[in-house]
Amino acid sequence: MMASAKTWLERIRKLPLPEKIRIMNVCGGHERSISAAGIRGALPPQIELIPGPGCPVCICPEEDVYEAIHLALEEDVILVTFGDMLRVPVNVSRRDVRSLEQARAAGADIRPIASPTEAAAIARDNPERAVVFFAAGFETTMAPVAAMLCEGAPENLFMLLSGRLTWPAVAMLLDSGEPGFDALIAPGHVATVMGPEEWSFVVEQHGLPAAVAGFTSESLLAAMYSVLRQYIEDRRFLDNCYPEVVREDGNPAARARLEQAFDVGDANWRGIGTIPGSGFALKPWLAQRDSVTAFGHHGGEERKRAGQMPKGCDCAKVVLGKIYPNQCRIYGLACTPRTPVGPCMVSDEGACRIWWSNGIRNRDVA
Amino acid sequence: MCLAIPMQILEVDGFNARCEAKGVEREVSLFMLQDQTVEPGEFVMVHVGYAIQKVSAEDARSSWELFDQMLAAEDA
Repeated sequence: MMASAKTWLERIRKLPLPEKIRIMNVCGGHERSISAAGIRGALPPQIELIPGPGCPVCICPEEDVYEAIHLALEEDVILVTFGDMLRVPVNVSRRDVRSLEQARAAGADIRPIASPTEAAAIARDNPERAVVFFAAGFETTMAPVAAMLCEGAPENLFMLLSGRLTWPAVAMLLDSGEPGFDALIAPGHVATVMGPEEWSFVVEQHGLPAAVAGFTSESLLAAMYSVLRQYIEDRRFLDNCYPEVVREDGNPAARARLEQAFDVGDANWRGIGTIPGSGFALKPWLAQRDSVTAFGHHGGEERKRAGQMPKGCDCAKVVLGKIYPNQCRIYGLACTPRTPVGPCMVSDEGACRIWWSNGIRNRDVA
Repeated sequence: MCLAIPMQILEVDGFNARCEAKGVEREVSLFMLQDQTVEPGEFVMVHVGYAIQKVSAEDARSSWELFDQMLAAEDA
């Protein structure tokens, strides 16, 4: 039986903490749990919890969203995507269609889905139409997308793929020399699929404490206690504080589907740039399902360098954990969940949206 | 988006299972648990309609408490 959250907090409070220690999480689910449970406020002030790159919608390249919007507007297709993507704005004038939601209002056939199986079902129910699945997500989500493709999807289902691997973004931060954190809480459900070992580079190559955490306060606090002890005792190892779900080798069947369906290559992250080996791409046997092969480009390709975060929006810094959400220049001013400017205020996994939803209204002007 | 919710298996039919959580029933794919045996009564973590791992009943319960707490905080 695992210790209670209160016990973990007491253990953390008794530690001989350094003057300041920054612990980064890289999962929107972790940030939601931390914010909802008020963990930040309950911890000693020396501990800073930094939300890092944990939101696949937030880093989905602007050119991909633009491509999806114009594909849906200009071709006779049904475009399906996870609901979070609908309100993500692209950087065009307010007179133009700025999001999939607006494209839908303008007549495009765009349908939110909650599962890759729905994409396949919509394609099966509409054999005379082409269905394009615009899929953004990290490993946890891309494994089900791969499974759906491997199981045998209808021929009229095409893919616009914006899947990403999580760990290369952390590797990029660590390689930059100014990672901005001293310890890492690794994402529990990414590790459920990929196995915890994927995160051992944090310890072995960079000497930072790391622990895989689940999503309850107990699991998150256990992971925080683990990395704090590792730091204080100078004894670094990759801890698994979510063993009830994260097995030693992850989920081999899920990983096999990822390998069967996708290659891994360099990929663009919105506001960040190209991260080596961080993007999923269709394997050659699925090439005929590529929406670009089937329908050509719709303006996304030309936007590759122009398409970044909106003007005035600090989402890029928020995603990389360089600033807190309420340190953004427009947090709570021009940008709220009702009128989101940047993707971090759109997605349920975005740090800005999470902080706002949990009642953080004050701006902290750095 | 990497959120996974524990559900109890009601019925298994090949790679498909009818699952239940808090009175809500859903079709869930077991395609990614095909190297494990999954039986009615057991619990699985479900992400975007796919079971990604089996869990114990006790762990399923603690995850549900977490979601209640999280939704309550965000509604407030």
